[in-house]
Amino acid sequence: MRRWTVLLLASALIAGALVSASAQGARRGGTLQVGLDADPPNLDPHRSTAAVDRQVFQNLYDKLVDTDETLAIIPMLATSWTVSRDGKTVTFGLRRGVTFQDGTPFNAEAVRYNFQRMLDPKFPSARRSELGPIVRVTVLDPSTVEIVLEKPFSPLLYALTDRAGMMISPAAAQKEGLNFALHPVGAGPFSFVEKVPQDRITLQRNPAYWNSGRPYLDRIVFRPFVDDNARVANLKSGDVEIINIVPYQLIPELSKEASQPGARFRLLERGAFQWQGIWLNVTKPPFDNKLLREALNATIDRNVIANVVLQGSAFPAYSFFPVGTPAYDPAGKVPPRDLALARKKLQEAGHPNGFSFTMELQPRTDYRQVAQAVQSMAAGAGIQIKIQLVEFGTLLDDGDKLKHEAMLLGWSGRPDPDLDIYPHITQSGIGSFNYAGYANPKVQALLDAARLLTSMDQRRRAYSQATKILMDDLPYLWLYFPKEYKLLSTRVQGFVQVPDGMMRFRTVWLAP
Amino acid sequence: MTGFLVRRLLQMIPVLFFVSVITFVLIHLVPGDAARLILGEQAPPDALAALRRELGLDQPPYVQYGRWVGAMAHGDFGSSFRDRRPVFATLMQKLPVTGELAAASVLIAWSLAVPAGVLAAWRQRTVVDYGASVAALLGLSLPSFWSGIMLIYLFAVHLHWLPASGFTPPTEDLGRNLRGLVMPAFVLGLFFAAVVMRQLRSSMIEVLRADFVRTAKAKGLDSRLVIVRHALRNAVIPVLTVMGIQLGVLLGGAVITETIFALPGLGQLAVNSIYTRDYPMLEGVVMLSALTILAINLAVDVLYSLIDPRIKLTEPSS
Repeated sequence: MRRWTVLLLASALIAGALVSASAQGARRGGTLQVGLDADPPNLDPHRSTAAVDRQVFQNLYDKLVDTDETLAIIPMLATSWTVSRDGKTVTFGLRRGVTFQDGTPFNAEAVRYNFQRMLDPKFPSARRSELGPIVRVTVLDPSTVEIVLEKPFSPLLYALTDRAGMMISPAAAQKEGLNFALHPVGAGPFSFVEKVPQDRITLQRNPAYWNSGRPYLDRIVFRPFVDDNARVANLKSGDVEIINIVPYQLIPELSKEASQPGARFRLLERGAFQWQGIWLNVTKPPFDNKLLREALNATIDRNVIANVVLQGSAFPAYSFFPVGTPAYDPAGKVPPRDLALARKKLQEAGHPNGFSFTMELQPRTDYRQVAQAVQSMAAGAGIQIKIQLVEFGTLLDDGDKLKHEAMLLGWSGRPDPDLDIYPHITQSGIGSFNYAGYANPKVQALLDAARLLTSMDQRRRAYSQATKILMDDLPYLWLYFPKEYKLLSTRVQGFVQVPDGMMRFRTVWLAP
Repeated sequence: MTGFLVRRLLQMIPVLFFVSVITFVLIHLVPGDAARLILGEQAPPDALAALRRELGLDQPPYVQYGRWVGAMAHGDFGSSFRDRRPVFATLMQKLPVTGELAAASVLIAWSLAVPAGVLAAWRQRTVVDYGASVAALLGLSLPSFWSGIMLIYLFAVHLHWLPASGFTPPTEDLGRNLRGLVMPAFVLGLFFAAVVMRQLRSSMIEVLRADFVRTAKAKGLDSRLVIVRHALRNAVIPVLTVMGIQLGVLLGGAVITETIFALPGLGQLAVNSIYTRDYPMLEGVVMLSALTILAINLAVDVLYSLIDPRIKLTEPSS
């Protein structure tokens, strides 16, 4: 009986959400001003590497498939997809009658061109590694396209919900070549008007959008606000209507203000997508010694970091898979702080009085505060941490060359679990993503197997086993999963928050 | 005068040359691979090689430098590593923003500092003097990121009098342009007002003790006239020198002010270019800033002779 009530209530809520997101009462027109945390550097989805680019892309480019607010894969430019029994062929049925914003028809040939561009060894593409072992892309008929893989690659579908699945106009790409980022053309609900660097990117309604009646807005203007306080102040003053990154130190205050009657903005929270923690370089002292990694790990109280230092704006972390993502394992346990264990490990390692190391991090408020907390926790067992603030480019360089001892650095997260773990902890990632310099044949075998498995349940089991090994070996100390927040004006209606943090404005309209 | 100008313009060439060498060397000394930052962490080696080839980063540094300076001599500043946007056009888009901000803040600085400095010197060791000094100290010590945010909360969030951010070109809407400029120019101007005021006060005190001022007073001239026509005119010259030198500091302060008020100026462009290792863009910004500072200093020298006709801009006296 109780279960039925819950179900009924849930369906009523879902129906309510659908109605508010649908055309019912939606108003056409208006300009949405969006505050971003940085100036999107490159508007070519096949070359872009900055997370902030993707905020603009969601509205400029349609993808083959998309994710909904539960991170399930839903149709977009592809209306159907089938994976062959051996997992090596994926066939997409494409939406008919779609054109790019320049009038070029979207069809199987256009899809083939997009893949060819991303895979061309002469083209400096940033997408190739996301696409896996693609052998060829074949046009079966104008609205059917087939992707043939050398071996199964389960992360492919999720990769196509992101930049790798964003279709650009072949005509525009051929005409512009490497200058495509200056005149981007996609098949999304909004088309490009202009970009003034560090000032604004303007998009306007695409009247020929395939989903008739949508979008509702006439224009979207994206503006960068690098300063956290300035971004929030601009939302409060009404100069922008929504911001992509809400500084965690303001969350308690903003949440209180937003719940007061007559508040002009709302604070939304949904799941987590990123992971944050400490890389320990296992290729050189002190952390080539597993006992010292264990000692440091035992000093850390993850609950204090998430709930006190970060004021509840994060979940404590114990894997590469944040709460609510497909590979999340609810059975995982947060390792407790255990100073006696830390001392025992130090004793065994022959450092009864502790040791010292340098930890590199970017000069960000959250990183600094977390680093200082870890510093004082470690000091409890006599471990001395020297905090070194390093600019991002230099940090990456140190990480690539494994020059650091330890590094506080996380990952923005991807919908498919593979990209949240594989490059970070296998041999192939050393020199790029694997800042521990760690390689373990058992982990490698499990992660390779997960790429071949098609069911997420089976994959999740492989990931949980790999996590167990990593939890024991400790090349990376998971600390916390930041929660996903959006701050928006009460005028913004129909906004659907997806845990990946990307803002999709096709359903959004502005109340007067 | 013409000879002076020609000589000074010719002197700029070696200066700009050294600036170009230092800029190039410093940028390339900063660790971090531009291709790697552009293509991201997972970039495969052949894609990185393709990009380095495209950007000319596979060439030895002296070849890269030669190409850059050679192209610049022909008026080609190259294009951004990030999205291939032409550097020169971008600079020309940004220059008016920072230029207007700098001009407005200098204007605010002078209109606050001149009366305050003169009064403080004239009424030395009185309440007026101490009050002006305290105000100047505040202006010097308030960090602009703090005063900027406070102004935004007061005038944009609570009173809704001024926009919180952004730049509207004056050709598009002059009213909006000026309203958007008030807060950033005030924040940046406050610091300079303090510098100018302190400088003017001390040089004024010195001039007020000079013989010619006593003579003017002895002739029975009204003391206000003496101050404005005789004393201020002489006292202002050392202040101008300081302002010319401080211009570099102004460009530095503009970086923070532009960030707080989201103004798309040269400061933000420079910072972004450093983070992304956008060598051509950053080199362009530095060269343009160097050129601007040289030009302003030349203008200051010309101003001397206009203010004080005894200063002649001719061949150096030997």
